[in-house]
This record gives sequence, structure tokens and C-alpha cells, in this order.
Amino acid sequence: MSEDVIKGKVLKHDTQTRTMHWIHLLAFLILGITGIGFYWDIAGIANIFGGPANSSLVHRWTGVVFTVAPILYILLNFDRFSRFVDTITSFSKDDFAWLKTMGGYVPFIKVEEVPPQEKYNAGQKILGILIIIGCLLIILTGFPMWLWRDVVAPATLALCYNIHFWTAIIMILLVLGHFFLAAIHPKSRVEFSSMMLDGYIDAQITAEHNAKWFAELQKTE
Amino acid sequence: MSTLLSDGVIHVSDKCKACDHCTSICPTHAIKGRLGEKHHIEVRKCINCGQCLINCPFGAIDDVSMVDERIIKALKDPSKFVVVQEAPAVRVALGEEFGQAPGTNVKHKMYAALRRLGFDKVYDTEFTADLTITEEGTELICRVFNDLGVPGYEAFGPLPQFTSCCPAWVKYAEDKYPQVLPHISTAKSPQQMFGAVSKTYLAEKLGIDPASIYSVSVMPCTAKKYECDRPEFIASGFKDVDAVMTTRELAQMIKAAGIDFMSLEDEQADRFIGASTGAATIFGATGGVMEAALRTAYEVLSGETLDKVDFKAVRGFKPVREATVEIPVKALGGKVLPVNICIVTGTKYVDDVIEDVLAGRSQYHFIEVMNCPGGCVNGGGQPIRRDTY
Repeated sequence: MSEDVIKGKVLKHDTQTRTMHWIHLLAFLILGITGIGFYWDIAGIANIFGGPANSSLVHRWTGVVFTVAPILYILLNFDRFSRFVDTITSFSKDDFAWLKTMGGYVPFIKVEEVPPQEKYNAGQKILGILIIIGCLLIILTGFPMWLWRDVVAPATLALCYNIHFWTAIIMILLVLGHFFLAAIHPKSRVEFSSMMLDGYIDAQITAEHNAKWFAELQKTE
Repeated sequence: MSTLLSDGVIHVSDKCKACDHCTSICPTHAIKGRLGEKHHIEVRKCINCGQCLINCPFGAIDDVSMVDERIIKALKDPSKFVVVQEAPAVRVALGEEFGQAPGTNVKHKMYAALRRLGFDKVYDTEFTADLTITEEGTELICRVFNDLGVPGYEAFGPLPQFTSCCPAWVKYAEDKYPQVLPHISTAKSPQQMFGAVSKTYLAEKLGIDPASIYSVSVMPCTAKKYECDRPEFIASGFKDVDAVMTTRELAQMIKAAGIDFMSLEDEQADRFIGASTGAATIFGATGGVMEAALRTAYEVLSGETLDKVDFKAVRGFKPVREATVEIPVKALGGKVLPVNICIVTGTKYVDDVIEDVLAGRSQYHFIEVMNCPGGCVNGGGQPIRRDTY
């Protein structure tokens, strides 16, 4: 059965996007666990990876995967990535209106009608921007901590560690929030199988949550 | 044996983030641990220079302090007559701890602060730096005469002569190249000379029992703590130097005492052994000992007074520098003697020089070795800089 004949569903994330997301997620988990382990000197975590030095080695090489995976994805899917960046960096009146009501996700904010959204809602756009910036900061500070630790000034090295640590903490919190909304929250947990399994999402839900994008899809049909 | 001699001066604390920056700094590869693994120092190899300490990005490396256990105790003891000396490099760095630009000379305020802290006499290591110059310069002349076969100088050691002021370098030579020890000047370092003078000559002149004199030094160097506890330094029968504090520790003492350092009126060092020449002042920079000793050697060998006292060839910041200074030797009828000199700043660069000496290939007559890059001004006891470049 080909992808475009599944009735009542639309393809939101293609195979390469889902593969990259899976790789990046697994790398992020390993990086987060090992990083927390040696930053707070938790022997239990370090020992899972064969002690502190080996845990650091796993962290560094996973960092390479964390860097190379999105680079490869961007090179192989440059148009798609450009559109993604275009989408997440364009904020319309509807996006600001969505942010005012938090898209109806927050129980104590009363919402009569959620403004129509593109492929990604305003919250996802902000998350996307923050994740890209966070990844860049983590990568740009991580490699000097590893490869140039002998040559950079002590204060610069300390600065890299601080930026790396605080960015990682913010990223972990963002990813936890992302996981809650995408996998647990009853209003949006259908997104989970779309990114993590087959890439498809219910057309009816898309028509409600991403009305502008759904309208575009209908036009192109 | 002092625990300091067995356990070393420098220790990595639990704050270590395992960033591994220090292993590239250590000139003797004494720091063990891979990236990600908390580091520790192998005492047997450590020369106590403290370069890892001032370069640790997280301030996770400490030096053993003698302030509470020794210095403050002595200052509170009415039976002790506490004298203090300060190395040339201290005065140009202490100001950094009080917001001054690096290199600002605050020696007159430093003398005043030390008196406020309760020291009975405030002297200056520059006095014994001058003595070191005289000793090392004269020893060099004697070794040159021995090498030339001049009768009466047979008891002096071989050429080239290495300087002996830097305790980190001396320990490095003892640990790694014991064969080179006959080449190292027999002169004590200025710190130890001052300690010996304070408990012999000074005690006699001031009419004080050497047993009641407590000799403290303020140094830019952590290895000086190790040096002062070495058992051979007991010229008077008592320890030459009883305790050492670093420039950082002096600043902490001044701050803890609530002294407004920059508002202090300028004061002079105590007379008698507080005087010095400009040759002593340049000791703190790389090439300084060499330049000062050359001035002495030149004047003694040639019998002439120098018009220009600067030997600029020995200055600079290259790790290994060499030059030839031509000295007319009066005792040899004015025959010009080319004196080949070498300056090494950074113990990690000295191995090739030593290998040449031991293999008989070295053309040098006099070699200055200072462990810290740039000399004592960049010692392990100096204020910690936080430049990001």
C-alpha cells in the first residue's frame, strides 16, 4: 500500500525526517544521561557506561552523531529544511493570537476558537527555533571542550562549560515539555505516532489543528 | 619529615570537572586522569610549580596554606620576632588583587600593609637577590677559570653552570636528571639566603636570639613552600625560612584584616637588609637572573665598569633563547672570552638543553632555567587572571 492512498490521513513527516528525529532523540538521551552523570558526579550513571572516562568518551562520540545527523539531513533535504526554517520563523497575526490563548492547551485560559495554524503551530515554531539555537550552542561549545581543551584560555574553557551546561539544562526542559505535549497531552498526543511511527496523522485533526496547512494540501490535490 | 615534602604542595580538589586542561599545562606530566575522569597529582613527579593551579578553569586546584597554622600563629606569639621578605615579582602583581592594572608596582603600600598585619620587621628579598647575583656570578667566574685550567680553581664544578633560584627547576633536575646536579650553582635561592641571613647576621646585629626569630616570605611561587621545608636549609641550626605565603594569600590576609590597601600611605622597607640594586628587581622576569649575573661577571672579569648595564640579548619570551657576550678577561691579559649563555623559560623545554650538556655537546657556559612561562611574575602563587584570550 503506497503512502498517498491511506484514506482519512495525511503524511506529515517523511521517512528521512522521522529517521533523523529518531537518531537525534536517541543521541540526545544518551548525551543528557551521560552529561548529568559526570556533571553531578553520579557514579551509578558513569558506571553504566564503563566508568567516568568511558562515559565521557561515549558522550563525545554521541555528540558527533548529534552533530552529523542533522547536517546530513539538511544536505540531503535542503529544500524541505529551508521550508521548515521559513515556516518556523514566520509569525502571522494568527500565531500571536494562538500564543495569547496558548492554543487552548492551558486549562485555566478559556478559549472559544483557536486561530488557524500552519504545519506547525506558534508553540512548535518557538520550540523549533529554540532547539536549533540550543543545538548550535551545544555543538559550538562542545567541540572546543573536547578538541581544543589544551589551547583555549582557562576562562574561555570555563565559559564553554557554563554555556554547554545551561543550554543542556534548558534543552532537557524543552524536550520534556515537547514530549508531554506530543505524547501525553490528550489534545495533541496523536502527533506522537506521526513522528515516531508511520509519519501519518488524522486528516480531521489536521484540519482542526493546522487549518492553513490543510487548506494548502487540499489546494495542491 | 614534613607532610608537605611527602604529600606535595599542590592538590586537586573535589571541584575538579575533569576538563583535562591541566594535563597539557603540567611540565612533568604529573597530573593523571583522562578527560571526564577526576584528576589527581602524582606527588613523586610534581615539582610544585602551581601552573596547573593558576590555569585551572574551575579553581579546583589548591596549594597547601601555611597562613593559619604557621604565620598567624607566629604573629600572635609574643615570644616570636617575626620578619618578612617579599620577592621582586610580588610587588608588581599584588595590586591586581586590589583592582590595579597588572604590573603596577605597589611595593611601598605592601610594606605598609605588612606592618599593619603585625610583622616586626619588613625587609625585602631583593637584598638577597643581590647576594645571589654575587654568589652565582662569582661561581661562574670560578668555573670558567677551572675550565680554562687556571690554577687554584680545581675545586669548582664543571661548565655550563645552571642557575639554582627556581625550586621547581631544581626539583625537576633532582628527580629526572641527577647527573646534571654538579652543573647547578651551589648558591641558595634568594628566599633561602634571606632566611639564613635573618637568623645569623641579622640576629647578631639586632641582638636577638635566632631561636626567637620567625622568618616569613611572600613569594609568587608555590614551590617556595616546598623549598622552605627542605631539611638541608638550616644554616643557623634553625629553619632558614619558617613559612611561605603566596601573593594571593597576602592579598587575602590584607582583605581579612580589613586593611584599605590602596589608601595606605607609602612606606619604606626596614633599613639594614632592606636595600637592593636594580639587578635584584629584574630577578622576577625570565632572563633576569642571567642579566644580573652577567653584569657582575663582566665587571669582575674585565675590571671595567659597564657604561650600559642592559644585556638586551637575554630578554624576550621565547622559551629557549641564546646569546654570546664577549668579556675581556683582565687576568688573561685582556683576552676576549666569548661567554655563551642560554635562557630557558618553562621546564618542559629544558630536556634538550640538558641532554646536550650530559652528552658533552653543549657550547654554553651559563644556563638560566625558570619553570614558569615568563619567569616568576607568572608564578603559581600569583593572582589568578581570568582573561578569555
